[in-house]
Amino acid sequence: MLRLRLFAALVLSACMAEPAAAEDIPQPREPIALVIDRHIAAAIATAEVIPATQADDATLIRRLTLDLVGRIPTTAEVESYVNSTDPDKRGKLVDRLINSPGYARHQATLFEVMFNPAGDRRGGNAALRQYLADAVQENKSWDRVFREMLLPDQSDTKLKGAAEFLRARVADADKMTIDVSVAFFGVNVSCAQCHHHPNVEEWTQDHFYGMKAFLARTFDNGGFLGERGYGTVKFKPTKGPERVAKMMFFTGTTVDTGATSAEPNADMVKKEKEVLDKAKAGKTPPPLPGFSARTQLVEVALRDANADYFAKNIVNRMWHRYFGSGLVNPLDQLHSENPASHPELLESLARDLAQNRYDLKRLTRGLVMSQAYSRSSKYDSTSLPDSRLFAVAQLKPMTPQQLATSLKIAATDPATLTGKPEEVEKKLEQLESAARGFANLIAQPTDNFQVGVGEALLFSNGDRVFKDFLTENSGTTLARAKAMKEPRQAVEFLVRTALGRSPTDDETTALLAYVEKRSGREAEAYRQVLWALITSPEFRFSY
Amino acid sequence: MPRISFCGSADHAVNRRAFLGSAAAGGVSLAADMTAINALAAPAVNGALKNNQKRVILLWLAGGASQLETWDPKPGASTGGPFRAIPTDVPGLHISELMPKMASRMKTTCVIRGLNTKNGDHGSGAQLMMRGRRDEAGLKYPDMGAVIAREMGLLESKVPDYVAFYTQTEGRGFAPGDSGFLGARYAPMELTTNNVPEFVRKLDGISELDHEERAGLRTLLSKEFARGRSSETLSSQNEAYQRVRGIMASEKLFDISQESQKVRDRYGPTQFAEQVLIARRLVEAGVPFVRVARAWWDSHGQNFETHQEMVPELDHIMATLLDDLAERGLADDVMVLTLAEFGRTPGINASLGRDHFASAWSMTISGCGIKGGSVYGKTDAKGNKVTHEEVDAGTLLATIYAALGINPHKNYYLGARPLPLVNPGIDAIQAVLK
Repeated sequence: MLRLRLFAALVLSACMAEPAAAEDIPQPREPIALVIDRHIAAAIATAEVIPATQADDATLIRRLTLDLVGRIPTTAEVESYVNSTDPDKRGKLVDRLINSPGYARHQATLFEVMFNPAGDRRGGNAALRQYLADAVQENKSWDRVFREMLLPDQSDTKLKGAAEFLRARVADADKMTIDVSVAFFGVNVSCAQCHHHPNVEEWTQDHFYGMKAFLARTFDNGGFLGERGYGTVKFKPTKGPERVAKMMFFTGTTVDTGATSAEPNADMVKKEKEVLDKAKAGKTPPPLPGFSARTQLVEVALRDANADYFAKNIVNRMWHRYFGSGLVNPLDQLHSENPASHPELLESLARDLAQNRYDLKRLTRGLVMSQAYSRSSKYDSTSLPDSRLFAVAQLKPMTPQQLATSLKIAATDPATLTGKPEEVEKKLEQLESAARGFANLIAQPTDNFQVGVGEALLFSNGDRVFKDFLTENSGTTLARAKAMKEPRQAVEFLVRTALGRSPTDDETTALLAYVEKRSGREAEAYRQVLWALITSPEFRFSY
Repeated sequence: MPRISFCGSADHAVNRRAFLGSAAAGGVSLAADMTAINALAAPAVNGALKNNQKRVILLWLAGGASQLETWDPKPGASTGGPFRAIPTDVPGLHISELMPKMASRMKTTCVIRGLNTKNGDHGSGAQLMMRGRRDEAGLKYPDMGAVIAREMGLLESKVPDYVAFYTQTEGRGFAPGDSGFLGARYAPMELTTNNVPEFVRKLDGISELDHEERAGLRTLLSKEFARGRSSETLSSQNEAYQRVRGIMASEKLFDISQESQKVRDRYGPTQFAEQVLIARRLVEAGVPFVRVARAWWDSHGQNFETHQEMVPELDHIMATLLDDLAERGLADDVMVLTLAEFGRTPGINASLGRDHFASAWSMTISGCGIKGGSVYGKTDAKGNKVTHEEVDAGTLLATIYAALGINPHKNYYLGARPLPLVNPGIDAIQAVLK
């Protein structure tokens, strides 16, 4: 019954997804986190469910560290956070993490996967990732990242990586159209390629080919992204004769292409070829044509109400990154017939982002400072509230790099990860790079991700797992455990190092019994205890 | 980020009415979360199938075997090549003289001669034949191995669900097994370097008892964690670890030295023969789907030498496998398929080769619910065109599913979107079903 009522509420709010009223726009004095909590709490109240309690400190620092910098916290970090009595310790932790170099690296890895979800995952596109890491480091506004990726300044070596997203797609203009639309606007127009979109009245073939017209003139000129000053996209509609696509954004805004849509004459073609050949020979980026369709796309996409797609898409994706699912799901179905779980909240956050120069760091801080973010993932009742209420935190499988780096940290003697912050940071960065190879063996999680038996076999019998994480070389967790006199002490140490908490009584009993049964070969027993800890779901997931 | 489109249009072969009906129904239970694969929630029902569980061995003729030198010879035609056609135990049915052993066993087998699959590219052709349809932008379909693994596999199976051998390097990258939207649970165990899968053997540094008991510790820790938490991803990790010991125990299935020398001699000494023997051991132990790839049939030059060498090996191994299965009482439970990404051109090129050809080619199905001795489809005198009973990739998969007792119109659900095993409007070929 409750569920029915909730559904009705969601449907109602979806129907009323009018532009937010003025009072819903966050005022300067209302922090993003409070806006989030107000909307989330209202829906929870309407649904008459009880949300999960707030997560404890040890859980929260683990979640924040994994989400913001892509690794588990060290034992020292956990202890200092848990023991701190500072009322603003959470805010300070978030600030420390969000301004650390690990933040830029981790976020760049996530963005690179977002841009190349089906790409060669063996390390991904390193040049694009480097560009993105620099962009996050400098906290470039998201609209600037969009500009730089669509209109890359290829003469600047530091920005050249930005061109890789388009350059990898020049051979297939359809794919470029779909991927640009999905990544930046949350819109998968592939349905409209062959027919009018069945669910979304406003999307027709004109919209797919309209987007394609902006991108179809783009090509590769000797390793640089180039663009022709002419060229049209023709398509055969489901009804009627073939026609030429107008350059048109999803909202229906069209761009006057002037004379550039006419067939180029031989002279124009020849002149352009000369310019392009010269650039190719000189190994320099070709100049943009007088009328650049891509420039037009960037302009039109950020103009006035058109920017709604751009802003909502990135808000939804950032929400998904921290909450485990989007306000709109799937992420590439941002349209009127697939309403957000909290339409007004999405509207507010998007507006706030646009008004604050698309500052993702500001948005991120707001998301992770909310009470909604810091709820427990445990819910002691048989009927779990609907996940779209965000009343209980969702489990998030670690990404390959998160898992590999975290395994390295769990395998490293925590005593070597204390001391001067900059030295610890450096050591953690080394562990992260050392983990890259192992990360390639792990599957990239998607929505509905399932762990395959291949991963379980790798961890159970792979030589690599043993060598990378379970040796007793000096400086390892196991070397430290081996040096301990009392098994009880060693077992508690292992649990704390791997899971960032003390063992429960039941766990201590079981783990100790396991070790005592192996009296005389405790070191081996500790290795197996550590194996059980790092393969447990508590390690595998962000919870 | 995954890209799942769910536009639900008939143009992408999804029934809009079913989509809407399901979405509405989903609303009541609030199940319309667009990202949940609800169909994966309860694979336990498969347990009921245990007693009539069907299994499949796919002999994958990678690179594209020639239909003219196997199942659809055209002796005497300008395109026919040097080999004769010979009569079989099925009156009126002739096959290539390179297949004398199968010629006396065609009563076990159905030949589909009218394949017109319209894709002459190794990679996308192989994907098409394995999946029965093209992927949509943002939606990867599971291949038949993954579908059969899901339909016939047991939740807590002690054996792998889907095993794929592909040892030769030519063309291996073109058609990896792919579980598509069904996820890693149904991904194939791929064997590419030797006949024993990776990581099924315990490392020397740990004893059998320790290996087993540390898994017990893991289970204990995971139970503690699972209290008050419920998620499909979480369950998948525990299921994966629960299957490890069973799969390790299945290592001996990959060891043909467990077979008598007599049986091994019967299959023969080649790698293909050994892998097919392993496949027989696997299906006997309950593995739902095994693909054994034999490469490389891509005879752009010297087509006749290639086939003179490779077809008799296929003939011998296929005949041996069918005999062996029948002797073990498995003929009704194990299906054997011969299939490739396409066939070869009737026209013979200047290098005495045949090129890629997807317009009129053949494959075979033996066992389970298929009518042995049947022939479906007819090509013209030179083998250029299908003249009767044309079959596309979707129809072929529908027929295979139906012969295994799987309803090809059954839906999986991706969120609210129903995804039938084959595209709507496609049906099994009733004429070849028992």
